[in-house]
Amino acid sequence: MNSKKEEENVVIETASRIMIPFIQLFALYVITHGALGPGGGFQGGVVFASSYFLYIVVFNIIEGKKRLPESVYTTLSSTGLCIYAGVGLLSIILSFGMAQYLNYGFIPFTSHFEKNRSLGIDLVEIGVGITVMAVMVSIFFDLAGKEKKDKGE
Amino acid sequence: MVEWLTAEISSKYNYWVSILLMLIGFYAIIAKDNLIKKIIGLSIFQTAIFLFYISLGVVRKGTAPIVSEEMILKGYAYVNPLPHVLILTAIVVAVATTAVALSLIIRLYEEYGTIEETEIIGAIKRKEADQDRPAF
Amino acid sequence: MKGHKAITLILMILLCGVLVYVAEDIPDFGDPKAPAIKYVKLFHLEAGASENALNQGRIPETISIALKERKFPLPSRAEKTPGAENDWDVFIPKEEAYYPKEEKFYRIKKEGERLHLYRYAFVVRWIEKGFKETGAPNMVTHGLADYRGYDTLGETVVIFTAGVSVILLLRRRSRL
Repeated sequence: MNSKKEEENVVIETASRIMIPFIQLFALYVITHGALGPGGGFQGGVVFASSYFLYIVVFNIIEGKKRLPESVYTTLSSTGLCIYAGVGLLSIILSFGMAQYLNYGFIPFTSHFEKNRSLGIDLVEIGVGITVMAVMVSIFFDLAGKEKKDKGE
Repeated sequence: MVEWLTAEISSKYNYWVSILLMLIGFYAIIAKDNLIKKIIGLSIFQTAIFLFYISLGVVRKGTAPIVSEEMILKGYAYVNPLPHVLILTAIVVAVATTAVALSLIIRLYEEYGTIEETEIIGAIKRKEADQDRPAF
Repeated sequence: MKGHKAITLILMILLCGVLVYVAEDIPDFGDPKAPAIKYVKLFHLEAGASENALNQGRIPETISIALKERKFPLPSRAEKTPGAENDWDVFIPKEEAYYPKEEKFYRIKKEGERLHLYRYAFVVRWIEKGFKETGAPNMVTHGLADYRGYDTLGETVVIFTAGVSVILLLRRRSRL
């Protein structure tokens, strides 16, 4: 009986090992091409998180926690929000005199006003994607994991 | 009379569909006993509201709101992009609400051992009668 | 327990009737002339030989006085709409850093003896000038991250709050 269970698992494990990198690549494509076609930060973040869900469903939840430990995803969820607010603060500092929040034209990536704006949009979308991915994975781990009750909690 | 009715139904069918879904979801929130069925009804209700709001901005011969030169030469018009922006925010808020509601249901299950609403109210009243003071 | 389900069903049918009665006035599905997409009607005046002044680009006094009474912003110049007769676009002066100093605000139509005054919706600026000012072809992205970037910051805070509250509810370890 044990060998039959292992045979079934081999098919699913091999198929998902091939699919997971392509799902992550598609998610990065959706995030970075958010300005050229349909997509953006929120959609790409959720697709990125769904590759972790596939890994957890096929393998154990304990193996899932080894791949993405708890300290990593709590740090990532704060990092994305800091990137977003940081771009805004940077544009206040760099626009001497008239303080304008989230007007990306003043950040000196290139020398044109309009091209700076399109690069600022890409930076902001990456920040949103990182936050959404980390929060979705954190919610999934909390809803699906069972913890043993501590004595006298 | 019949022609007027069919003209009304066939030209505004998106409003009737979203009203029907709204009422189904609202009935499920109020009248079902299982807690998870109530959350499913909430999700159906929110989806009906999004459909109604986006279908207000559709233009009959229109294409997706991405700037491209070929579509203007062929004679198409752009769909109104403002409702799409507002509904993206609303979808994210709906997901956050559903996550917190499901975690509350898990805590209720661990405390009382059941998900039916009537049994939970019965357990609270029995606790009140035992201890002779209000439960909250 | 059958009592409250029957009352709910009757209430739903009444609510359905009210909503159907309200939805009669909304314009048809996919109407290209619906006012929410293009412009909204403000008021109308009697025309009194103001066509010549509008054709040359000046604003006649009757229109300025009527706008000032109703507390709308005052216009600066007028122009003929390309592609339509008897229509004029009116601009107002605006002060924004690094952008052209005027914005298309009103539209005047002449029908018979009256002048109807409309106001353009904000969406018209997105569709016409969005690509040049922003550099992204997707119109929804420059709504989310450029013109309304502050709303997306608040929404990211909402997602973050949901993650934190699920952690607080479901993790019960002794040191938390």
